[in-house]
Amino acid sequence: MSVRIALAGNPNSGKTTLFNALTGSNQFVGNWPGVTVEKKEGRLKGHKEVTIVDLPGIYSLSPYTLEEVVARRFLLEEKPDVILNIVDGTNLERNLYLSTQLLELGIPVVLAVNMLDLLEKSGDQVHIGKLKEKLGCEAVEISALKGNGVMKAAEKALSLAREKKAAPKPCPFQSRVEESLLRVQEELKGMVPEEQKRYFAIKLLERDEQIQKLLPRAVDAGGEIARLEEDMDDDTESIITNERYQYISSIMQDCCRKAARKDTLTLSDKIDKIVTNRILALPIFAVIMFLVYYVSVTTVGDWLTGWTNDTLFGEWIVPGVSSGLAAIHCADWLTSLVADGIVAGVGAVLGFVPQMLVLFLFLAVLESCGYMARVAFIMDRIFRKFGLSGKSFIPMLIGSGCGVPGIMASRTIESDRDRKMTIMTTTFVPCGAKLPIIALIAGAFFGNAGWVAWSAYFVGIAAIVCSGIILKKTRMFAGDPAPFVMELPAYHLPTPGNVLRSMWERGWSFIKKAGTVILLSSIVLWFLQGFGWVDGRFGMLEAEQLENSILAYIGNGIAWMFAPLGWTQGGEGWKMAVAAVTGLIAKENVVTTFGILFGYAEVAEDGAEIWTRLSAVMTGAAAYGFLVFNLLCAPCFAAMGAIKREMNNAKWFWFAIGYQCGLAYLVSLCIYQLGTWVTTGAFGPGTVIAILVVLGFFYLLLRPAREGSRRPAGMKMAAGGR
Amino acid sequence: MMPLSMVQAGESGTIKKVGGKEEVRRFLKNLGFVAGGSVTVVSKTGGNLIVNVKDARVALGSDMASRILV
Repeated sequence: MSVRIALAGNPNSGKTTLFNALTGSNQFVGNWPGVTVEKKEGRLKGHKEVTIVDLPGIYSLSPYTLEEVVARRFLLEEKPDVILNIVDGTNLERNLYLSTQLLELGIPVVLAVNMLDLLEKSGDQVHIGKLKEKLGCEAVEISALKGNGVMKAAEKALSLAREKKAAPKPCPFQSRVEESLLRVQEELKGMVPEEQKRYFAIKLLERDEQIQKLLPRAVDAGGEIARLEEDMDDDTESIITNERYQYISSIMQDCCRKAARKDTLTLSDKIDKIVTNRILALPIFAVIMFLVYYVSVTTVGDWLTGWTNDTLFGEWIVPGVSSGLAAIHCADWLTSLVADGIVAGVGAVLGFVPQMLVLFLFLAVLESCGYMARVAFIMDRIFRKFGLSGKSFIPMLIGSGCGVPGIMASRTIESDRDRKMTIMTTTFVPCGAKLPIIALIAGAFFGNAGWVAWSAYFVGIAAIVCSGIILKKTRMFAGDPAPFVMELPAYHLPTPGNVLRSMWERGWSFIKKAGTVILLSSIVLWFLQGFGWVDGRFGMLEAEQLENSILAYIGNGIAWMFAPLGWTQGGEGWKMAVAAVTGLIAKENVVTTFGILFGYAEVAEDGAEIWTRLSAVMTGAAAYGFLVFNLLCAPCFAAMGAIKREMNNAKWFWFAIGYQCGLAYLVSLCIYQLGTWVTTGAFGPGTVIAILVVLGFFYLLLRPAREGSRRPAGMKMAAGGR
Repeated sequence: MMPLSMVQAGESGTIKKVGGKEEVRRFLKNLGFVAGGSVTVVSKTGGNLIVNVKDARVALGSDMASRILV
């Protein structure tokens, strides 16, 4: 018999750890239908017929956030056989608030009380037997981190599901509330299953609009609500919330013994006092980030990347493949496709993988030990000034490795407005794939000056800040970011399993891109530049006939668009245009494309071979503009795909892409035109346009905020919005 | 009664009232901010607070903190 177990619990209660412990690597990750909330399912270890569905981490079953809506729709409509409710033993009172609601759904519940070992260290005690008795459901003590008791909890759930045990008894309210509930339940007769009646009645009393949609016909609880509010002198929602908390405190009194403590501050509180300190917070954060990037980019990361590029691909795979193909007398064009097209193209991308994995490893450690949540808190004060929330910062940190997982990390932002803004701006941070472009321009035009790289990050950050300020003054993003509320998990040592898993999930989204988008684009590029018309005949070209390739035709066709950016002065503008377009497919392509276009089959990562050729066809101002264009324009195909998925709306997707490309174009136009004016004194119509663009920019930046934004911030976390 | 944002770091209080718009109130209640419960301010940066409520640590922006009266 197949059994479905729903795993429910608060965020930070150890739910993910428990899910991993129960299912191992046997997981499928998808999305809940129609929304971008991640859905994880897995098979219970040793029980093939048992599916565990990991519900999103939620605090209650109200329709406040999308996660809650998704979770409760699943519980009500799909009716899993049993709910495994993980509760954090160190924070029982708040965690049981969700449990009281789960107990009302008419589904057997097993309580898995986590982290009791931690609690006992502090001298407190929880009596599991009494808890069971009071709540009227099964309870098991577990340690998700150490794996203690997790299988026992799962088996308990399994046996409840198999026995088709009757539903647990829900938490009782005081008699006046129960009276009202009974009357509403009368109304619901025949509309919902007997065991769900109480839940529906409670939600109707709470004025939950979403619940009406699940009913076959409208039920008017207005009269009952009015009477209850009159009698109890409070709104129904507060009444029921208070009833729940009161019931929980009565349970806590019976089941918990708190040790008398002189020191009310826990270790986490003490750490927080230092790392979120008004003065120390930012310096501490800066030092940690510096170490993370220093190690992952310059030392370990550099060493690993060098090894992958030079040894793994340079000495083993590429020559190996070439000689292998030669040995089997493969056709020339096929050898060229495989060795020059696919292996070189995909290899250039995979070279970034080790570096990125090191960065993601560090970020995963910071996330799972609890520091990342503090970072969001620290940065909120700053980000709020330009219309973003502190929670936007984490996607941007991850985006400095690869934009795809960065965009995906924006999911944790509840507010629709803040999330959309984060998705649009995250990829302005230079990702790993943009670094070679920076190295190329710095080397070819600016004598390898260090300021080029620094300025690239500065441009990225400035683009985020200015976009935030400009966008928040538009109608679409009017208003302030949602008020900041975030639970901060207790600090704890991360488990290797969870850290590696998170590192791998993010790294994998990058590797996948190498295997799909970049593989395909390498083949297409190889074809476009290797074939063309010579003397009216279409065919494969010799290396020196590149001017005749299909790619050259396309490049020449679009080069005029980039004339105002100064890319076409040298008569080879089509090469810049082509490089920028291939950059839209994947930023890793840009340097390689230049290499091919200037007649080198393979170039170093920073394109050192073509520095002189490149500097002959562009001025410094145009080159810096080219760099900025690539930094700001729409990211690679893979990241655009991520934007499309996360926006979940075609209009918003095109708006984001259009905004990024438009901004990139205008900024690099200004850089070239004004740069040329300053360096050579040449003043033309382009200069006038650039000055107008700059003035327009300052107008957008400085104009007064719209009426709407002066209203008190609304929390637009409504479920329908996404 | 005063807003939670006025409470000094290290001090505790009993929540008297949770104000603000309905969604805000509901979210705060789900997190454990209910009238009668106790709340301790752990640290303060700018107007933002880290507080202890029902044994959980919650970070609050200043605008949220001013809606909770103790």
